[in-house]
Amino acid sequence: MSSKTGKPAMRSAAWRISLWATLAFAFGTMVVFVFLHGFVASDIQRRSDAWLSGEVEVLGDVAERTPKNALYDTVVGEVAELAEREVPDKPATGNGTDDTVFFLQSGGDGSLKLWVGAGNGEAHLQAIRAKHIPEDRPTDITVPGFAVPFRVASIRMDDGSQIYLGLSERDEQRVLWSLRLRFLVLWLLIVLLGFGIVFLTTHRMLSHVRRISEAASQIGHSDLDARVPTTKRNDEVSHLALTLNRMLDRIESSMHQLHTITDSLAHDLRSPLTAIRGKLEMSLSTITENEQAEPVVSAIDELDRLTDFLNKSLDVAEAKADALRLSRSVVELDELLRVMLDLYEPSMSENGLRVRLQSRGPVSILVDSALLHRMIANLLDNELKHLPANRNLTIELHSEGSSAILTLEDDGPGFDPEVLLHVFEGRVKGKTSDGHGLGLAFVDAVARAHGGTVAASNRQEGGARIAITLPLAMEQSRHTMVPVVSRSK
Amino acid sequence: MRLLLVEDEIDIRNFLKSSLEETGYQVQAAPDGKTAERLAVEGDFDILIVDLGLPDQDGITLILKLRQLGVKAPVLILSARRSVDDRVRGLEQGGDDYLTKPFALAELLARLRNLLKRNSPAGNDATRLRVQDLELDLLRREATRGGQVLQLTQQEFVLLEYLCRNAGRVVTRSMILDKVWGMRIQPDTNVVDVHIYRLRGKVDGAGQQPLIRTMRGVGYVLKDR
Repeated sequence: MSSKTGKPAMRSAAWRISLWATLAFAFGTMVVFVFLHGFVASDIQRRSDAWLSGEVEVLGDVAERTPKNALYDTVVGEVAELAEREVPDKPATGNGTDDTVFFLQSGGDGSLKLWVGAGNGEAHLQAIRAKHIPEDRPTDITVPGFAVPFRVASIRMDDGSQIYLGLSERDEQRVLWSLRLRFLVLWLLIVLLGFGIVFLTTHRMLSHVRRISEAASQIGHSDLDARVPTTKRNDEVSHLALTLNRMLDRIESSMHQLHTITDSLAHDLRSPLTAIRGKLEMSLSTITENEQAEPVVSAIDELDRLTDFLNKSLDVAEAKADALRLSRSVVELDELLRVMLDLYEPSMSENGLRVRLQSRGPVSILVDSALLHRMIANLLDNELKHLPANRNLTIELHSEGSSAILTLEDDGPGFDPEVLLHVFEGRVKGKTSDGHGLGLAFVDAVARAHGGTVAASNRQEGGARIAITLPLAMEQSRHTMVPVVSRSK
Repeated sequence: MRLLLVEDEIDIRNFLKSSLEETGYQVQAAPDGKTAERLAVEGDFDILIVDLGLPDQDGITLILKLRQLGVKAPVLILSARRSVDDRVRGLEQGGDDYLTKPFALAELLARLRNLLKRNSPAGNDATRLRVQDLELDLLRREATRGGQVLQLTQQEFVLLEYLCRNAGRVVTRSMILDKVWGMRIQPDTNVVDVHIYRLRGKVDGAGQQPLIRTMRGVGYVLKDR
């Protein structure tokens, strides 16, 4: 477990899920905000435009009715100042004069007739001149010296002069700016919070799924008694665990059935074999003539071969159903090979074969030693039976990563091409073979039962090559530390 | 030697009984666990042969029950099962032995002898073995025949020692593989025969009386007379 949590979180599925979910969420809220922002901005614009149009009309009215005498400037100026105080959304300012609103009347010749506002109004007049302002709706004017444009409404007087009322968009922009700022801060907070929540929940859920898959992968290689961990919650993950466990129940029961069948088959065949062998042996002890003994001896030999065939067939059948029963212990493969070669070497040199063992030191594997002994005996028997005289057999052993790799290479005739395809299936044998063709099928079965592999090929320079991988002991003992809930019976 | 044979198959029971009696055992046979329990408590047996697949109960259950009843004799377990049960391994470590069916009679007899020897007070801690004019010095790992030192390899010495310890009795190939090489395998090639052949070439020189004899269909024997 601890080795798995050390894995960077950025490579986990939980990370990817929360990243995509957060991206979608962030993008969605951003779109909604942009839409709302546009709505608010246009509403503020509409309100200030309505105020501008109304006020400019009132001012035009006042200017129309006020007699064009010395008092005209004062009267219209004061009305304009009053109007300016009613600016919508305007924050309270300390002094009376501010630069957010101006009133301007230009004469028919385009000269500045009346100015109410900050400064002398020349710059504003220049800007207005430069741009045509339609009468029915307010327009944006950019005045040099002011960073923020003005919204200007105008009305035309009967005497040919023109009245302008301008309102700086600074307040509007300030409102929108603070709206954006607040949104951004809140948006960031919510997105980060959402990411955190999604990550934590999916991580928790997926770590449960991971525990289930780790436990499930362990089951079958060690024992079928174990079950994946379940939770009390009633969600999909706990359903997955329950379904897996129900499936394991069924597998275990059919496996049990298979064992019962092979066991009773073995028993039913072995008992008569035992009786027959015993009787043959008894009759052999009473025979003194060598010639008379011959048929009995060969009958016993045949019987032993039949027994061996029976054992191997049942082992291969069980292994193919992944149901071989293993009783594991740590085996030093390097040492075992030396003992095996010690046993086989005389027969091999008797047959004119030269054997060489290349080993790079001890290699420990966790296996069923009885099965492993028989597997290696099968491999060596196979070489002994099929290699012609004056050939070489090289056995090479080394460990690579988490696997022990055992290769047997000879310079014999190699496999028949049509045999090579089915060499591990059992009941396939070369034309010259007198075995029952189960040898390599058994090797394959044992290797696979231990989580290993076997590959057979013909070497380019001629000869056969069989490569076997078996998991190293360390690797397997670490796997068994994965928490697997044992079922209470 | 009093022997209790617990085996439900009538054919096997009969041939085992007669061959064991021929060898010199006093045999009582039981077809099931119940009978075996009764007989075992009544009679004082030196050794037991118990088949695992009994009609009324499991062989191992029977053995454990007998142990509780105070039966101390060693047990040779016969099994027709495919894999060796962990519980059988446990019993094997506790001093009992097992044999899978079908078996060679010679092997059965040899295992019985081993079990009895293990339980007898006189140990086999002799430092020298002698069979006719063949002599083995176990400390110096040296073998001589008629005073001539034999040039044996380490492995050949172990093999000869095993044959000497069982002199006059047949040992099978699987017994040799089990005791000399420590493996229960059944090679379908002549690996053991070649070892014996080589050993015989060194032990039985020209003009000497051959000591190692082949019992065809059964195994080998080192003649002790």
